[in-house]
Amino acid sequence: MSILASGSFWAFVGVVAGIYTILALGLQVQFGFAGLLNFGQVAFMAISAYTMAILVVKEGWSTWLAAPLAIVAAAVGGLFLGLSSLRLRADYFAIVTIAFSEIVRYVATNDTSLTGGTQGTIALGPIGTASEYNGQWSRFEGRVQHALGFSSSDATMLVIVWAVAVVLLALTWFALRTPWGRVLRAIRDDEDAAASLGKNTFAYKLQALALGAALAGVAGLFYAWEFSFFSPDDFQPLLTFFAWMILLLGGVGRVWAVPVGAGVFGFIFAGTRFLNFPPFSWFASDQRAYLRLIIVGLIILALVLVRPQGLLGNKREMVLE
Amino acid sequence: MTALLEVEEVVRTFGAVRAVDGASFAVEERSITGLIGPNGAGKSTLFATIAGSLKPDSGRIVFAGARIDRRPTYRVARAGVVRTYQAARVLTRMTVLDNLLLASTRHPGERLAGVVLRPRAARAHERRTLDRAREMLALVRLESHEHDYAGTLSGGQRKLLDLARVLMLEPSLVLLDEPIAGVSPALRVELLDHILAVRRDRSITFLIVEHDLDFVMQAADRVVVMNEGRVIAVGTPDEVRTNEQVVDAYLGTAH
Repeated sequence: MSILASGSFWAFVGVVAGIYTILALGLQVQFGFAGLLNFGQVAFMAISAYTMAILVVKEGWSTWLAAPLAIVAAAVGGLFLGLSSLRLRADYFAIVTIAFSEIVRYVATNDTSLTGGTQGTIALGPIGTASEYNGQWSRFEGRVQHALGFSSSDATMLVIVWAVAVVLLALTWFALRTPWGRVLRAIRDDEDAAASLGKNTFAYKLQALALGAALAGVAGLFYAWEFSFFSPDDFQPLLTFFAWMILLLGGVGRVWAVPVGAGVFGFIFAGTRFLNFPPFSWFASDQRAYLRLIIVGLIILALVLVRPQGLLGNKREMVLE
Repeated sequence: MTALLEVEEVVRTFGAVRAVDGASFAVEERSITGLIGPNGAGKSTLFATIAGSLKPDSGRIVFAGARIDRRPTYRVARAGVVRTYQAARVLTRMTVLDNLLLASTRHPGERLAGVVLRPRAARAHERRTLDRAREMLALVRLESHEHDYAGTLSGGQRKLLDLARVLMLEPSLVLLDEPIAGVSPALRVELLDHILAVRRDRSITFLIVEHDLDFVMQAADRVVVMNEGRVIAVGTPDEVRTNEQVVDAYLGTAH
């Protein structure tokens, strides 16, 4: 217990919460403001992480060129998904997004020559060498650590991820307070009414989808750098649903509810690791891993029952018709 | 007078049902034209095809000299044809003021590129929009509800908000779908006054679907009568009232 309760463990929890904040912020733009049900958010994380890793390892690009291009690739993925499927009704669109994210994962699994297949990014380069995509990033992180005078790299990553998260939150908050954001909210409320006021609702939904995908792309980059190795298995649909839980926990339609939801979710998720006393210790450790998910689910269910609008949500917005 | 809107031989079917079956009529500029007919006559379907939310199977809809029947709703609206709905479609989870602020055309702040590249123009446009919104709120006497969610308004207030929002777009042609259904008698008079005042001051043309004949006969210069998807009579309220076909199909002998 004492090992797990160390500062570096909680710094790691904080980093993951920061990455989830950025991922769920994308959902907030798409669902909380434009009303789009996207259950494939993890796909954009995967597209971005793989684009960056492939450009760095296979093409020898600088990380600082590959990273922005990876975010653009995620946004283009969003545009592609939107152009092909946004004309579907909300629930049908939601189904297509799940399929899209699974297609991306299956391509990553099976196109071994492009992605390294099931072995993950370690197999990106020539056979017999262990590929790394984060050399430049590690040196950058080292310099930041030195500048901050930190002793742990976990704490450094925590600062970097949250600095970026706060900037993105602020930018999103600002964007949604503009007349542009007002049109998005109108579409969420009643798309036909927005169209009859002369708003090109398709274009706005497409923009929201692409921007949300770009945010997931940023999350994907940090995910890749934090773990210095990833494989298609890291991009299971479960990750999308974690982001959804964060959104619902924090509150739909509130930008600053996202970090709150991510913090609470991260704390609950990490906290269940400490359930190694009876009756939990009666189970084998692999069984306990599943038990943890069940307990996380139950806690979140209880929270949502108590506050259906989320921790920072506005209850009145849920009941008005 | 010249025709602002021309509906020519419009047909719209739903499966085997010919909801609009070759309807033709014209709406003259600056007129208030009433569109009446029994339930199922095709009035609402025709409305939706004019507003662009339904595409006609055949026929043409010409507005100010240009065909609009193949355009999506938002482009019909931008061309200057806007509609209200029978059950007012206000944006319930937005404030009354936000509902009105949405009714602005060519707002640079409504484009991401405009927000980033032309922040001053966006802010200036927003200020003008805000002034106009407050003006419209005063017109329909909803000032005190400015910051309330539109979802908290009563049915009649929502109709007023919807009307204010539509007028704020400064359209050339307003399509009103049963504007006084469910509205109190006092408010009906007010609504009628608004419509007449707006036509006089802003030279806006109205096409009104309404079941309340007294209202239609009072408000309209011309009345178009539909039955079974076709136009069976066009004329002044008095001409229509005495038209035999109309009496048979709609007004009934007792009227």
